Amino acid sequence: MTALNNNKNSRVTDSNKVSFIFDGKKYFGFDGDTIASALLRNNIKIIGRSFKYHRPRGIYTCGIEEPNALVQILSEKDEPNTRATVKKIYSGIKILSQNRWPSLKNDFGYINNLLSPIFSAGFYYKTFMGPKGFWKNIYEPLIRRSAGLGKPPKEFRSKSIHHHHNVDIVIVGAGLNGLLAASKFIDTDYDVLILEQDNILGGSLNSSQKIKTIDNLDTHVWTKKTEDLLKKSKNIKILKNTLATSYNQINHIIALEDNSVGKPLASHKPELILHKIRTKHTILSNGHIERLISFRNNDLPGIMLAGSFEKYIFRYGVIPEAEPIIFTNNSSTFSLLKSLVDLGCKPKAYIDVRDESSIEKKTKTILKTNKIPFYFSSEIEGCDGNKKLETISIRNKEKQIEKISGTMLCISGGINPDVHLFTQSKGLIKWDEKYLTFKPETAFQNTITIGSANGSFNFKRIIEEINEKLSLFNINELKIDLEIDCPEDLNIMELWETNNEKKSFWSKSFIDIQNDVTTKDLHQAVSEGFDRIEHLKRFTTNSMGTDQGKISSINSLGIVSKILKKNISEVGTTIYRPPYAPLSFSAIAGRSTYEFYDPTRKTSIHSWHVKNRAIFEDVGQWKRPWYFKKNDKETMYEAVQRESKELRNAAGILDGSTLGKIEIKGKDALEFVNLIYTNAFTKMKPMTARYALMLGEDGMIKDDGIVCKINDQHFIVTTTTGGAAKVLSDMEEYAQTEWPHLNVYLNSITEQFSTFNISGPKSRAIMRKVFSDVDFSNDKFPFMSFKKVNYLDTEVRILRASFTGELGYEVYVTPKYGLELWEKFFRYGENLGLIPYGTETMHLLRAEKGYIVVGQDTDGTVTPLDLNLNWMIGKNKKDFIGKRSLSRSDTSRKGRKQLVGILAVDKSKIIEEGQHVVKSSSIPSKIKFPVKYLGHITSSYHSPTLNHYIAMAMVEGGNDLIGKKLYVTQNKSSENISVEIVKPVFLDPENKRLLS
Amino acid sequence: MLVINCPYCGERDQSEFSNGGEAHVARPKNPETLDDKKWSEYVFIRLNPKGIFNERWVHTHGCRKWFNAIRNTSTDEILKVYKLNEEPPSIGEFDTTLKTPSGEPDLGSGNFTVKK
Ligand SMILES: [Zn+2]
Repeated sequence: MTALNNNKNSRVTDSNKVSFIFDGKKYFGFDGDTIASALLRNNIKIIGRSFKYHRPRGIYTCGIEEPNALVQILSEKDEPNTRATVKKIYSGIKILSQNRWPSLKNDFGYINNLLSPIFSAGFYYKTFMGPKGFWKNIYEPLIRRSAGLGKPPKEFRSKSIHHHHNVDIVIVGAGLNGLLAASKFIDTDYDVLILEQDNILGGSLNSSQKIKTIDNLDTHVWTKKTEDLLKKSKNIKILKNTLATSYNQINHIIALEDNSVGKPLASHKPELILHKIRTKHTILSNGHIERLISFRNNDLPGIMLAGSFEKYIFRYGVIPEAEPIIFTNNSSTFSLLKSLVDLGCKPKAYIDVRDESSIEKKTKTILKTNKIPFYFSSEIEGCDGNKKLETISIRNKEKQIEKISGTMLCISGGINPDVHLFTQSKGLIKWDEKYLTFKPETAFQNTITIGSANGSFNFKRIIEEINEKLSLFNINELKIDLEIDCPEDLNIMELWETNNEKKSFWSKSFIDIQNDVTTKDLHQAVSEGFDRIEHLKRFTTNSMGTDQGKISSINSLGIVSKILKKNISEVGTTIYRPPYAPLSFSAIAGRSTYEFYDPTRKTSIHSWHVKNRAIFEDVGQWKRPWYFKKNDKETMYEAVQRESKELRNAAGILDGSTLGKIEIKGKDALEFVNLIYTNAFTKMKPMTARYALMLGEDGMIKDDGIVCKINDQHFIVTTTTGGAAKVLSDMEEYAQTEWPHLNVYLNSITEQFSTFNISGPKSRAIMRKVFSDVDFSNDKFPFMSFKKVNYLDTEVRILRASFTGELGYEVYVTPKYGLELWEKFFRYGENLGLIPYGTETMHLLRAEKGYIVVGQDTDGTVTPLDLNLNWMIGKNKKDFIGKRSLSRSDTSRKGRKQLVGILAVDKSKIIEEGQHVVKSSSIPSKIKFPVKYLGHITSSYHSPTLNHYIAMAMVEGGNDLIGKKLYVTQNKSSENISVEIVKPVFLDPENKRLLS
Repeated sequence: MLVINCPYCGERDQSEFSNGGEAHVARPKNPETLDDKKWSEYVFIRLNPKGIFNERWVHTHGCRKWFNAIRNTSTDEILKVYKLNEEPPSIGEFDTTLKTPSGEPDLGSGNFTVKK
């Protein structure tokens, strides 16, 4: 049988034809069609293959809950797992079915169906345990190719943006209940936001004829009229195509708006808008979801939920089949039956599990007058057919199997209020014995549930319910007349699965159609001990995937409760977690993509670095020159060796602008600095500087830097590049929380200065040329002192300090003149051998000198004592952060790891950073006991000046091991390198170069 | 995401703030006079109760001021914010029952949503 168009009373009419491509073939649908309704119009029943067994699958529902009909949109950058039941077509859309190879009709993976015994519950966890290597080389590639959903796209599909809202009331779902609630707020002082997932308002008014008229108006006319009134009201805003996906703490709702419904992707505007809404009250009128019934082969193409079938007729104007068979356990199918008959169609059979007396009279009358075969006290045992529904086996009231032929079967296993958002908001749900479903019980936030979302399935009561539940807002009472044409009650009888008689691999009774979980898997999981519902979910993969088991998760609870002989309320549900429906990562990312993801910070010299072939290193958000390539051929190793050598021979200049700089001012600045840093600053002369350490209260090194004292009320300190923000935060914390009596002001001045480090034996000569009126002699400008120097119309601060071990100066200048001054250095310095150098050379040079890098040689477990930096501790100070911890039993014990130097006995051997320091010369192939670890290599370089490798390490009791031999492990070798432990200063231990 | 009422700026999203752990743990005035045990209690030991908790927050991406808050850790409700120099409100002002959304027991957790 073929599909018919319903032009009489549907929301999609045949006015505008739209062409689309499905699996390479061209078809026509109508403007407003979803992919699914358009395919049904074209009598296409198979739309994909299933996840595990590759069984042919058709369209099962008509909305967001769809388990089967997932497609890939080729015309939208291969967007995968798109629900065909939601996505609207447009002219030129290209659609591909998923998870089939080589084609939808002949699918190779169908063999999995035959292998199904090994794909049963828990197969991921236990089937492929051995032999060794099989998983990686055979099973995994095979499973990856044949199981799964669509292919991931190669690029971002969408541009998306975020909108923020602060409102009084959010109404989720603009169906009958949502519209009625909203209309109460017209022209009130409440700020109201209405979220509707469809592109038209009306919800179930569009998808059934259960309500005939509202205030004597046709429902379509009433919806339009109400929409107009809402739009005119200045306090109300309606967002269509917007799905509420998360309901978080403090009435925070996330909703996704599809801004390109029924249109191809436009390059100039956002396709997705993520709405972040903070509201005072939330009204959930988001309706209900129908559920299935499990029977043998209940996944065959041609089987659909009854409510969805009805929705296709009225919402999309397509009757998928004129003579469907209906199978139900409740009264909701009355309206489908009635609608079909009204449209001149005649269901082929009506199968109801309830006994004749409990079926409402209305239904029986229609069945009798239209001579529709009627099976009460009956159920479907199973279905058969070659890739589509052909035969239906009915177990009649005499428990005999009767077979009838049919190509379309509409089933209803009951109705669930859509409680996902309600439970996300931490509301309490409760099992309802009358309706056999979970209903909202107690709200945790300011949440009001109305209509079928509240489990109120009786239309007669809805006006009363809305007036009652919204009475807290003190707004007008609704007085509306509804003409209802459906049974008053659901009158449901429990039926989760039917017994099936045919036993073969092909016969499966599915509970989770998307994940190919069968009712047998549930039985098996329970028998293997996975009887807690959360365990069972993970073991079987039941209610996972893109649909999260929306049409079947309650059924699985029903089945499990029967196996366990418990009540469903004792079994409980799994936790409903956001998002309600899949949320594209690009929607979450919004504008935070590519260069907007994380800002890039560049120094004022950046353009010069680029021009001079700098290779950059990311340090925090900063771009720092790592090394400068002399020419395209030069490798990093060669560049670093060259830079190091030339600096020690002549001079080098480093862009140190990224170093954190903090200004500390105030009457009590000196006392504050004394408390923050380990060193003693009281006797320090103005205009001098000190290398200083900052500890945590646990005594461990947190940061280091140089403290410059302008006077007792004014200090400037530097921090590591990565530590700048944290150090300022910590200082602020102590200033506010522990020492509020101290008068100090803190200010980050990192960006106020460009900083250059000029270093090397020729640096004094160069400085003299650049700043000709400054006396750079050792007497007048000693190590660790600084001067303020006029430069153009500004002031430059020059500090004599060094991180390379050579004579060196740091120059602080306003970024306005940064590049100009940098270039000036090269104008005057180039013929003296001045070269630019990067962070890698800086690291190498400081290692030759045994200077540490916080975060490389230290790791948060290292005290100053561990580094032999006792001289930096102001022992006579009464207190500083971390001081007391330095005398704790653990920090003062012997045998802590201490900083040492490491030299290979064979100096041509490379010692790798991170390798272990051990006692034995090799690692035995069979290890009986753990190899004793003494420490690890923290820094390692080839020194071009010494012409051999040097390394630093943290080694247990290192100070007592100087001169001893130990071993260092190697990558991919059981032979260890023989090394000598030395003092961690490899060059100029007398500081001759530094003080020259 | 929580909404936190900064005593200096007003209500802002939680993403603007950083949590500073238990409040009212004063740094000892004379650390040198404390034995190892007492000192390590200050450095390492903090309360982490289920229920009413006085804790510190800082408006990092705002005024950068530290302040205190009383939060029910089982519901995440912030019951009160107060400045550093203000006396902590007495706990008796607040409902101290361990009200949790799902009615969990005092210890442990789990999905008791529907078991009540
Ligand atoms: Zn603030």
